[in-house]
Amino acid sequence: MIALRGVTLIYPNGTRALDGIDLEIAKGSFVFLVGHSGTGKSSLLRLLYREQRPTSGTVIVDGVEVDKLRRAKVPELRRKVGVVFQDFKLLLDKTIWENVAFALQVTGARTRDVMRQVPRVLDLVGMAHKSRVFPNELSGGEQQRAAIARALVNNPKILLCDEPTGNLDPVNTNEVVDLLHRINLKGTTVVVATHNALAVDRMRRRVIRLEHRQVLADDERGLYHGIESESRADGEDLALAARVRSGLGQDPILSE
Amino acid sequence: MQVTAIGTVTVMILLLGTVLFAQETLGRIGGNEIAKIEISAFMSDKASPADAKRLAAALKRDPRVKSVTYVPKAAGLRQMRDRLRGQIDTSLLTSNPLPDALRIRVVDPNAVHAVADVVRKMPNVANVEYQRDFVDRLLRLYDVMSKVSVAFIALLVITAAIIISNTIRLTVYARRREIAIMQLVGASGTYIRLPFICEGLLDGVIGAVLAVGLLAVGRWQLWPRLESALPFFPLQQADSNFGLFALQLLGVGALVGIVASWISVGRYLRT
Repeated sequence: MIALRGVTLIYPNGTRALDGIDLEIAKGSFVFLVGHSGTGKSSLLRLLYREQRPTSGTVIVDGVEVDKLRRAKVPELRRKVGVVFQDFKLLLDKTIWENVAFALQVTGARTRDVMRQVPRVLDLVGMAHKSRVFPNELSGGEQQRAAIARALVNNPKILLCDEPTGNLDPVNTNEVVDLLHRINLKGTTVVVATHNALAVDRMRRRVIRLEHRQVLADDERGLYHGIESESRADGEDLALAARVRSGLGQDPILSE
Repeated sequence: MQVTAIGTVTVMILLLGTVLFAQETLGRIGGNEIAKIEISAFMSDKASPADAKRLAAALKRDPRVKSVTYVPKAAGLRQMRDRLRGQIDTSLLTSNPLPDALRIRVVDPNAVHAVADVVRKMPNVANVEYQRDFVDRLLRLYDVMSKVSVAFIALLVITAAIIISNTIRLTVYARRREIAIMQLVGASGTYIRLPFICEGLLDGVIGAVLAVGLLAVGRWQLWPRLESALPFFPLQQADSNFGLFALQLLGVGALVGIVASWISVGRYLRT
């Protein structure tokens, strides 16, 4: 679904953001992208929705060489790739319904489709009852769920999340992570760049760790601080890790 | 800002219309003068009237030639007597010194020299005369005039385009969040551009409509007064189609608006 081959990104001001990244993300998978600030997580995501082009290397998203994509073809890609940000990026003068519908309308969707799709995604994120409310009247978690609904309304194959829980408290974080998980279970490939150890450790999914602009580790069922540092993790994490190793590793959310 | 953009277009179209109108009027005055330019071809003594008529027929086939008049020597003398009457004693002209002549008028004044050269090389033509200096000066004046007005108009168009473009850029800037989200969710470039293009188009058209209105006032209110104030000046009421002229000016306004907004939105979308 997603492949990066020898991808290097150097910004025009000379800042090196990514250095020879090789990466494959399978269809339908759920991937965390972790690492300190400035290690290139957001830059990597930006390559995937073609906000940025690599200085060298190839970026393939859903069979399309995104780095070679003509400008006129970018909208087509963006409809296959939903994006969610830390700051939600909702339009404050539009209601939640309007914000979500907006994403469909600007792609030239027919009113009939808008009327069918918008309630569907609002229901999916649990925001149907807040559809007439303006973003500023909502909590951060609700705003983020609305933003996720907007990202999903075009039925994207891939959902990219850049620090989706960065502005949220633990309760809202859990809600959003659960939501992302549910979306993933419906078949959408989800890539989440995050600093949130809680979310990563709770999910036990593939964790790609970036450091110094390169992939430092890539664990199939990783923890935020990495499997090699399990000894430093607390008891609960140890127990979880042990379960995984013994082959009993079940999805913590599903098993709850 | 909107007002500035519309106002600039109004001024631009107003000046453009005035310049075009002035050019047309001057052109007509000049055209009247130029239409009077004649090439006189004098036949050699050996040539018979039949030769001269053959020559006239040949010249008429030239597409650059508007008319050829054959003036036999007797008629030439009569014309000269008329012209010189009161200046010299024409009764002294007892014999006719004039040869047979052809008077040639051309379609395009620029072709005068070329046609004169052709005529000069024709058989039985002894001499060719025309107002070479006058033609040259008139053509040069025309040339300078049209170059100056083209430069002037270009300057105006560019100014208007820049101001519209700046206005649109402000609107784009005010809506940058919305645009960013549109781009994010996969709106096509055309979809994002369209409202801004419409705004530019509207600025251009409104400005042009105001200007055309002012020009109409000038055409029907001021021009007749100017004509009656300057009876000796060969001004003529413009007989061209004002409706068509107005449509062309509206077209220019619309085009400037579209191009300017296209450029300013395009520049934003690329960054």
